[in-house]
Amino acid sequence: MTRITVQGIGVVGGFGTGIGDLAKALTTGQSPRSAITVATRQGPVEFPAFRAETGPLKDFVPSRALRRMDHFTKMGLLAANLALRDAGMANSEGVNHPGLGVIVASGYGATATTFAHLDSIINDGDACASPTHFTNSLHNACAANLAIGIGATGPCLTVSQFDLSVPAALLTAQQWLNEGRVERVLLGAVDELSELMAYLWFRKRGRPAHETMEPLCTKAETAIPGEGAAFFVLSRVPEDRACYCELDHISTGRVEGRLPIGKEGVPLVLSADGRKELGAAYAAAARFSFVACFTPLYGSTPMSPAFDLAATSLMLKERHAFDSPDPFNRDFPGVVVKTGDPIERAGLLTLAEQDGYGLVKLKP
Amino acid sequence: MSNFKPVAITGMGCICSVGSSVDACMTGLFSGTRETNLALNPKPPTRFKTDHSVKCPVFEVRGFADVDRMLRTSALGLHAAREAIADAGLDQKRLSTLRVGVCMGTTVGCAINDESFCRAYRAGEDPDLAPMDRILNSNPAAVIAQAFGFRGPCQTVVNACSSSTDAIGLGAAWLASGLCDMVVSGGADELSRITFDGFISLKIASSEPCKPFDLNRRGLNLGEGAAVVILESEESRKKRKRRARSFLLGYGSACDAYHQTAPHPEGAGLKRAIAEALACSGTRAGDLAFVNAHGTGTPDNDRTEGKVLAETLPGVPFMSTKGFTGHTLGAAGAIEAVFTAACLEAGKAPANIGFQIPDPEMGVVPTTDAMPLRGATAMSQSLAFGGNNSVVVLGKGDRP
Repeated sequence: MTRITVQGIGVVGGFGTGIGDLAKALTTGQSPRSAITVATRQGPVEFPAFRAETGPLKDFVPSRALRRMDHFTKMGLLAANLALRDAGMANSEGVNHPGLGVIVASGYGATATTFAHLDSIINDGDACASPTHFTNSLHNACAANLAIGIGATGPCLTVSQFDLSVPAALLTAQQWLNEGRVERVLLGAVDELSELMAYLWFRKRGRPAHETMEPLCTKAETAIPGEGAAFFVLSRVPEDRACYCELDHISTGRVEGRLPIGKEGVPLVLSADGRKELGAAYAAAARFSFVACFTPLYGSTPMSPAFDLAATSLMLKERHAFDSPDPFNRDFPGVVVKTGDPIERAGLLTLAEQDGYGLVKLKP
Repeated sequence: MSNFKPVAITGMGCICSVGSSVDACMTGLFSGTRETNLALNPKPPTRFKTDHSVKCPVFEVRGFADVDRMLRTSALGLHAAREAIADAGLDQKRLSTLRVGVCMGTTVGCAINDESFCRAYRAGEDPDLAPMDRILNSNPAAVIAQAFGFRGPCQTVVNACSSSTDAIGLGAAWLASGLCDMVVSGGADELSRITFDGFISLKIASSEPCKPFDLNRRGLNLGEGAAVVILESEESRKKRKRRARSFLLGYGSACDAYHQTAPHPEGAGLKRAIAEALACSGTRAGDLAFVNAHGTGTPDNDRTEGKVLAETLPGVPFMSTKGFTGHTLGAAGAIEAVFTAACLEAGKAPANIGFQIPDPEMGVVPTTDAMPLRGATAMSQSLAFGGNNSVVVLGKGDRP
């Protein structure tokens, strides 16, 4: 199987914009949290959330082009442009090249625009459905805007597998590179905390009872919703430039018995995000492992495994661990790695309902 | 691209307005014209009401019972998967010994939009969550994986109208790299009022039966359905002594990077996708028995596709089967790939129904009558919103 390197990373989330802001959040264990208000029958309800700001996108895309663009696509374009710049590909080599493929993963797609399209029908009738909202409500609208914006004429794909969207997209990137279909892949994940998704969150989980997420507590519901985008420039090994790390193994499927986690001592970065229904599964999967978990820096969102991949890439580049920002770790059976612990390899584990899993192994 | 390996298709399933199985669809594709067989005509939608002043006809799957716990999209996908698995001679005992992946394409099947829920929410109610739970429990690939207890990779491609062509191409890559013994791959989409309104708002839905590649084409008719192919590794096929109904010989995909809803006027991405699919299959244009074109019946799509066919595949017979099925969106690529494989197997291809008058701007004319095939390979192509173009090359199988 083809070896893949991470050449560039671009992120936007509750912690800020760019890999520098993510590194700062990982180092300090702090991430600014905002809030979202949803309308309910009992009146407006506000609860904490990790929101992403896309103001810096104007550095990459003309304001005129941004006027009709929704928040979902803006997050994707910002993170993608940051990743290209980080990889040294902005306005130069690799762009406007048929060898560049694009893959976007999303758990739920552009839900605000989907809702807005429905609004246009509900408010004004079938004949007044908004063509702009309809077009932008399609899951692949972000990838299309991205391909148009940077002139990426290789294959362009969008995948949606809820919590496992990111591992699924990584598997596809690996196949494309393995087949020789592309030379590089611009791979990203985007999910937004729209009014609709926030309302659904509230109805299913209620107002978050905890001020901070405690994903390593297996018995309590401590999730706080988040949103954002993370993109990566992936390339076949060898590559001349320095890179963050190498993706050594990617697998997805249904857990059967013990996961193919590998050697003891390799820390696992868990995508556990305080949702009670998955807490026990993470604990069982990682009970003999060294673990880390960074979701309290960006919240619970289907795209958070992409933030986890960015954080793990940073750990491997710097060859040391970051503290997991869960302050309690009351009952998690694994050993939590600490700042400064040397890191030679790492795994990234995402679990989902119905025994689904995604496992990525990385090395410097 | 050098590493694509041919993959055997050992089972196929299909459901659409033409029929609820591959055999029924093949019978329907050769059952006459819209004039001689009125069942081939699209009709106003019966599954939902709208207040449009002009009634755009659609191709509905009649008599297919909805399932409470899942979206119609996923139920259609599961129906096609069951047929394909049975056609491949597989039962639960055999399947449990294999690592099976599922890769499905869709558009409607992943959209978080339930109209009744949103109406109630907008009216200030706290609506029942059941409709949203149904959506969240209906990921088309996951539904199939769960129904059969598959353990391999599971992925839903949401690439608009090329979704299921891409899903089949991706499934082949999983086999080639040894991730699976077998991949259940295809696509599914139901007819939705929201999508129906969306296409009308874009002014590309026709108020008449669609006329792919005709001078007077006015737009598409929406349809619904699903199709699934069983892609099987040579090792597994040999163990089971199973013949192939078809071979997936090549897959190409490229993006126009030009416009959200319009194809590149010169078909730049489509040309690259065709070239890639031919190159990785080792097929020459002249070897193709026919092309099952995307042919939606919209002015833009057919103009671009016709010009590309004239330039890159001159003399190769082509037709669009959307005159029989309507545009089934995320299912279209899989349905048309199954039709293509079944036609190679049967040694004949259907007419491009709806076509009457050539468009001089294209310089090519689709097949106007059903025809016997010369050759053992054919192509199926898909163009999508977002500018993606995906193409598969299929070969005749070795099943007697």
